[in-house]
Parts: sequence; C-alpha cells; structure tokens
Amino acid sequence: MRWSRNSVRPALKLAAALCLAALPVSGDMAYITCQNGDALSLFDLDKGIEVARWSLPGQPAGIAVSDEAVFTVAPMAKAVRRHHPLTGEVLAEVMLDGGPTGVAYDVARDRLFVSDWYNARIWVLSGHDLSIVAELETGAAPAGLDVSANGRLLASADRDADQVSLFDADTLELVARVKTGERPYGLRFHGDGRLFVGNVGTNDVSVVDLAAAEVVATIPVGERPYGIAFAGGYGIATNQYANTLSLFDLETLSPISEIDTDEYPEGIDTTSDGQIVIANWFDNTIQVIDPETQSIIATYPTADGPRAFGRFIRP
Amino acid sequence: MKRRLFLGAMALATLPGIALAHGPSRQKIALTAEVAAEPADVWAAIGNFQNMSWHPAVHSTTGNGGNEIDATRQLVLGQDGGPTIDEVLYKYDATKMSYSYRITDVKVEVLPVTNYSSHLTVTPRDGGGSKIEWKGAFYRGYPNNDPPAELNDEAAIAAVTGVYQAGLDALVEKFGAPGS
Repeated sequence: MRWSRNSVRPALKLAAALCLAALPVSGDMAYITCQNGDALSLFDLDKGIEVARWSLPGQPAGIAVSDEAVFTVAPMAKAVRRHHPLTGEVLAEVMLDGGPTGVAYDVARDRLFVSDWYNARIWVLSGHDLSIVAELETGAAPAGLDVSANGRLLASADRDADQVSLFDADTLELVARVKTGERPYGLRFHGDGRLFVGNVGTNDVSVVDLAAAEVVATIPVGERPYGIAFAGGYGIATNQYANTLSLFDLETLSPISEIDTDEYPEGIDTTSDGQIVIANWFDNTIQVIDPETQSIIATYPTADGPRAFGRFIRP
Repeated sequence: MKRRLFLGAMALATLPGIALAHGPSRQKIALTAEVAAEPADVWAAIGNFQNMSWHPAVHSTTGNGGNEIDATRQLVLGQDGGPTIDEVLYKYDATKMSYSYRITDVKVEVLPVTNYSSHLTVTPRDGGGSKIEWKGAFYRGYPNNDPPAELNDEAAIAAVTGVYQAGLDALVEKFGAPGS
C-alpha cells in the first residue's frame, strides 16, 4: 500500500493546490467532528458556508488543528488520523488499543497527545506518521488535553481522579497533579499562564495557577460544563445540560451572563477576530457568538452529532 | 445471557468509581407523534412529572418536589414490586410545555443505558392538534471498551426507542390521530 500512497502524493498536492485556487480560503476554518454522522465538516467562517463534509468512520469526536494538519480521534474505531487540511484526505492513521478520546498537538515538537479514557495514560505520537513515541501516566479517565501557548506544558483532565495532570511538553516529565472540582472533562490554557478546567460533577470551572500548581479560584457555571475558550476579557464555558454558555470575567473571575444556545453545546473555540464558535451535539448545528454583544450571530447546520472536542479552528 | 449480565453487574459493583465512566460515544434519538387533541389537553395529561401513568409500562409513580427543579420520582414498571427507575427533573417550563429529566438510578438489565437525559415537549401542530416530541441522550449500558451485544450502542438505542414508541403510541390512542 505504501507505494501507492507515495505515488499519489504529488497528484494530491497538485489537487490541493488547485482546490486552494478554486476555493479562495481566506478566513478562519472550523473543523467539526460529527460523531453520530461519522463525518468531518469544514466551515469557512468568514463566508459562513460549509465548504466540505467528509465521511469519517468510527464516530469521531476529538479534534486538533495546526496550519499544516488536522488530527481527528474516532473512539469507536480506536483510530487517530491526520488529514490534509483542505482535502480532508487521510495522510496517516493509527489504531490505538484502548479508548482514545482527547487530543492536543504540540506544533513546536510535532508531537500529538491522545488521552486513553480506559487506561489512565496519554499516548505521545509523532505528528508526522502517528507512530507511538512514549506513554504518560495520568489519573483515571483522562479526557480533555491542551498544550500551553508557550509550548511548555501539557495538561490532562483526569476525570475520575478529580485532578489535572501537568507534564513538561519537552521532557515529558510529570510536573504536578492538581486537585480540581469533581470530574474535570474539558480544559484550556489561557495565554497568560493560567489553566481553566471545566468540572462536570460540580458545575464549575477551576482556575489553576501554573507557577503555584494549585487552584486559585472556582467559578460557578451552568449544568455540565464541557468546553472552555477565551475571547477578549472573557472566559466562556459550554454547558451541555443547560443549553447555555456561561461568560465570566477573566480578571475578576466572576460570572457575567448566560447565553441560550441550541441543545447540547459542546466543542468551543475562538476565531482570529475574537468570535466564539460552538458545536451543538443534539441540534446538529454550530453557532457563532459575538462576546461583545453577547449574542448569537449565526447558526449553521452540520452532520449528525457535532462534538468538536478540542481546538478546531484553523486561522 | 442472564449469567453474563449478572457477571457484568457484579463487575460494575465491585470496581469503585466505574459507575462514573461511560462509553465512547453518546447516542441520541428523537421520536414524535401527532394527536388530535389541543396542546393544553395533552400537556394536562403528560406535563405532571409526578404522574407518568400515561405510559403503559409504568405501574406507579412516587416522588417529591412536584414540578420544581430537582424534583425526584421513582417509576415502578409493570407491577407492584417491578423494576424501578429513579429520575430527577432539571428543567420545567409549563409555558413552553416542556420538561427535561435525567435518570439517577436504573439497572442496565432494566434499561441498558447510562448518563441518560430526556426531554418531553408538546407543541401545536400545523392544521390543528398537537405534536409531541420525546428526545433522549444517553451512553450505552456498558461503560468499558468492547461491549457485549446486549449492552452496546445498538441495544441502548433499541431499548430507548421502544420505551418512547410505546408511550407515544399510547398517547395517539388516547387522544386520537389528527384528522387532516
């Protein structure tokens, strides 16, 4: 099989170039994993259109993106895949024996991290060919992963251990384990050196100071916070069960407002111009939110069961 | 099959914390039925969280808290002493004729699901009568990898679909199908 892949690569590159020329892809692109529909949807957010919808077997949920590549995790197939960002073509694929769930990409070292929900570990993969290069031990049921903006830290939300594990992204050594609220699931680093963790058991967000490696504040949010993102001076959590977003002030860490969304808001990410995009699992939509006016400015249909668990917007 | 289920339940009971875990992919279903009666009449029959007697599988309903958020109920299925399902109300809107609830306790032998939430909504039907929508979101009964057939995603979907269909069919029978 290898020979055929190599031989078609130049042709694909050409096709991708043509595709680029044909589709003026100028703005932010959102990659939406649709778990129940076995699909990956690509949205041009500036144009407000779904550019492509690729078939993707194995009930994909996890997502990580970079300029060069898009990574998906399909837990039913136990598959992690690297895709061409414009054609969706699978350029590399690995089957991981366990429960691959969350995913984060370290662009500086070309490493992909994938949590194993069933076996309390993180697989460290080569970003290029997805071969396993190391395994890291976490607490029980690791879910969301993220790499800090400066590339120094990897964080894992160890859901059934009520903690996050912090690793040195370079040496892969364990740095600290930090107790959070109950059942942390999604998390995200802010560029300023704080980690925000959504706890689905206690319906709040733990704010972790990385220098001290401890929780310095807890922010109440809505029922079942799933994902966290930032825009301007706000932190925003998607509340799966409440069908709302919780906005909080990143300085005072106090709640500001709740915004009604479609049903089961899950994946959340920020565009380059500071808008928020969420995926609504039950209603099969994504919604774009302007944090300044705290209103929904667009809603687009997707394939069945959009989750987009991870960083899914490619500027 | 029974033995396997029993062993599965034992394994669940003996592993601490495992009840928190769930399968890799949440499932969802949405069933609707149309009836001749007006929404207010349908809501009067099904809008009380403390009375699920409209469902043919439900023998009795007991609970606390009325239709307030965090109200609880226990459904007894079939007959006195039958299997039970414990549920909690987490959304209730009489104006929108909609409520949402979760299962807090059920054996997977009774309903092969975990992390189950559900919404029941009555809306006016175009041309008269009502539309009843019953939606559910849940994980399969087996929280770990490689589930046995009776606890996999398909089994979970089939079981919940069966419950919803039986309930909606009973409402169509009670209120009649819309004329047009």
